[in-house]
Amino acid sequence: MTETNASAGVTAIPDLEAYRGQARNWLANNMERRVGPPEHHEVDHYTPAVIANSRALQRRVYEAGYAGISFPKEYGGQGLPSAYEAAYNEEAKDYVLADFGILTGTTFGVCVPTMVAHGQPAFLAEFLPKVLAGEALVCQFFSEPSSGSDLAGARTRATKDGELWILNGQKIWSTYAHLADWGMCLARSDWDQPKHRGLTWFAVPCDAPGLTIRPIRQINDTSEFCEDFFDDVTIPDLYRIGDINEGWTVTQTMLVRERGGGRPVDANAELHAGSLAPDLVQLARRAGTTEDPTVRQKIGRAHTIDFVGAALSARIGELNRLGRLDPGSAAYGKLFKGVYDPVRARIAVEVGGPGALAWQPDDEGGPETSLYYLNCRIMSIAGGTNEMQRNGIGERKLGLPREPSFDTGKPFSQVLRDATNWTGKP
Amino acid sequence: MELTLTDDQQLLRETAIRFMQAACPLETIRSLVDEKSRTDLPAGYLQEAAELGWFSLLVPEEFGGGSISGDGLRDAAILAEERGRRLQPGPFIAMNVMASALANGGTADQRERVLPAVMSGEAGAAWLANDATGAWAPGESISVTPKDDGFVLSGVAGVVQGAAEATWLLVVASGSDGLSQFLIPADGAGVTIHPLDSHDISQRFATVELSEVQTGPDALVGASGESGADIERQFQIALTLLVAETLGALDGLFEMTRQYAVDRIAFGRPIGSYQGIKYQLADMSLSIEAAHAVSTAATKAVQNGQSDAGEMASMAKAWLGDIGIEVAQGCFQIFAGIGYTWEHDLHLFLRRITMNGLLLGQSEWHRERICTIHGL
Repeated sequence: MTETNASAGVTAIPDLEAYRGQARNWLANNMERRVGPPEHHEVDHYTPAVIANSRALQRRVYEAGYAGISFPKEYGGQGLPSAYEAAYNEEAKDYVLADFGILTGTTFGVCVPTMVAHGQPAFLAEFLPKVLAGEALVCQFFSEPSSGSDLAGARTRATKDGELWILNGQKIWSTYAHLADWGMCLARSDWDQPKHRGLTWFAVPCDAPGLTIRPIRQINDTSEFCEDFFDDVTIPDLYRIGDINEGWTVTQTMLVRERGGGRPVDANAELHAGSLAPDLVQLARRAGTTEDPTVRQKIGRAHTIDFVGAALSARIGELNRLGRLDPGSAAYGKLFKGVYDPVRARIAVEVGGPGALAWQPDDEGGPETSLYYLNCRIMSIAGGTNEMQRNGIGERKLGLPREPSFDTGKPFSQVLRDATNWTGKP
Repeated sequence: MELTLTDDQQLLRETAIRFMQAACPLETIRSLVDEKSRTDLPAGYLQEAAELGWFSLLVPEEFGGGSISGDGLRDAAILAEERGRRLQPGPFIAMNVMASALANGGTADQRERVLPAVMSGEAGAAWLANDATGAWAPGESISVTPKDDGFVLSGVAGVVQGAAEATWLLVVASGSDGLSQFLIPADGAGVTIHPLDSHDISQRFATVELSEVQTGPDALVGASGESGADIERQFQIALTLLVAETLGALDGLFEMTRQYAVDRIAFGRPIGSYQGIKYQLADMSLSIEAAHAVSTAATKAVQNGQSDAGEMASMAKAWLGDIGIEVAQGCFQIFAGIGYTWEHDLHLFLRRITMNGLLLGQSEWHRERICTIHGL
């Protein structure tokens, strides 16, 4: 690994405040200050052009030595203590920075930290500088048409051929795979091992021959997720992440990253009641039903759900800050949204009435309630269904015994055979 | 419960738990019921509780009170939750409302004569802010008219907790100039207290009738006709404590149920291993965890006097009202037949949780109040 970035000549650890001052100057001279709070964008905002623009911003930051400040130098970082990264982030928070949408999270939050923990050094030396430079955005080739909640039931086949691996199968629900450069892929490398023992992870370039990525047209008529077809996709063994057939160990690292949990918050931060469900009040005004007691009950209920949800996230965030966040507690936050988003969505269409679900063709804001209703399905499935959260809460938090298992202790190929000839007997 | 307690709060909590376990376990509550006792309190309960600081937390030190953490309501909410977990009887909420009201707006005489008696548990307290049906409606069914240099109070308050044993009554009355509060003796002329039997057998309620009760001007707590803001503040305190108490009861009932799901075997497995049962318990546990979040958020807001504290307390009450009754039913479903027996403790919890859902405004009432607060 050669040090290519501009400030890599620095060898001694600089004074923290001097470093902060340098960063402040550099940002002021090279980056654009943001007007207003950070923007939240809808799914269809992230076009290839928008992503390209963010890549250019990331490249500029990288070349100045401000990407991967706490990353090891051999991987393209600066090798500085995390306080320096925190100082830079504080200085940078009011500037327009690279925004890759959900790919920011899948790349920097989930996949790259997992790869750093388990990848081969020669691969990381080649790969990580590209990540820091914004040239390697990583999507998740996790779910399959036949294995969603049951991640370890992956059936994408990895066959070793000398120093190469050949991948065949299909992945699905890979967010923004059509905009990504790499995917982190779970595949079955040994069908004669029990389910969790025959898995191996790979980094796969999205432009590899034989890999076809197709955006899925979703119920809201946008495309956030993709389906991905692997036909004899061939990659070097260097791209393998973790040991052969030890994929489940890697998965544990990855799942902790993916579930994350609440942002650490200050225990004494004041919570507020907030505005009265502005979207619903607007719908009621339009329908002329603000005096209707049943409508008022619904609005009061939705507002209460909003507030209780915020209070619950703050509580989970506080657990995180206290270092007491366990996967069971994190599941409460996810399940709350999974259960109450659809409740609130139903309230919206009931308050809005038929007039909120039909609109003039030239009315740009017309579909708003319809889209809101449809999008409120997402949290009950994406990133772990309500049922998986209930399993997590039930088993990890409440100490309830597990269901009997029919897929451990025998070869995965036999698991599939037995399941197709199901008798209900263990 | 808040996620972190100070050492002093932890001590307050542990001392309270030891006291409750010794003074009034569920067996004692059951025997008071079986004896058809008119009181819901074991002898000396209020005085002993007072020694642990239960009724002084909302009173400043200059009047002989004192909080544990500097935030008296947060301390009191810890007690309320532990009380609920053990279905403790007694006018804990009314005593604290009374103490807070007297410290806040009482006359010098009320502060010197009555406040210490309340804080020491020598005098029981009741707050008359319900209408005749027991619904939260301050001043709706008690009126005040001026007479000579004093006042005449008339009307009825229904389903008042602790009234049968109260020494002092804090009465909300409406007059031509607005809402006022009066402190009157419970055994005064014109006061009739009708004890009630109730659904919640772990505590006692009464209807209080005031027929032309004559008081002097010195019975006023706060200025005549100007008690609206004080009553709202006391309401927020009462709501916060009732929410915490209900949550404690829910926690207690849920823990019994969870343990039962681990222990009970059916069809060759602990029933908690069936997803059909596990998912019900997970959903109930989510409701309760969210209730802890909203209860502590509302308590902090009321403690800090946030301008939106009343709305937050209402949302906490509306949430507890809805999920309380659902979780109690869910627990019953998991216990099944045994939960329909008198000897099982489930019904004691079910009764308290149901009753608390109706006191101090039902969920629907609070949702309407939230809309009104926002000018909808």
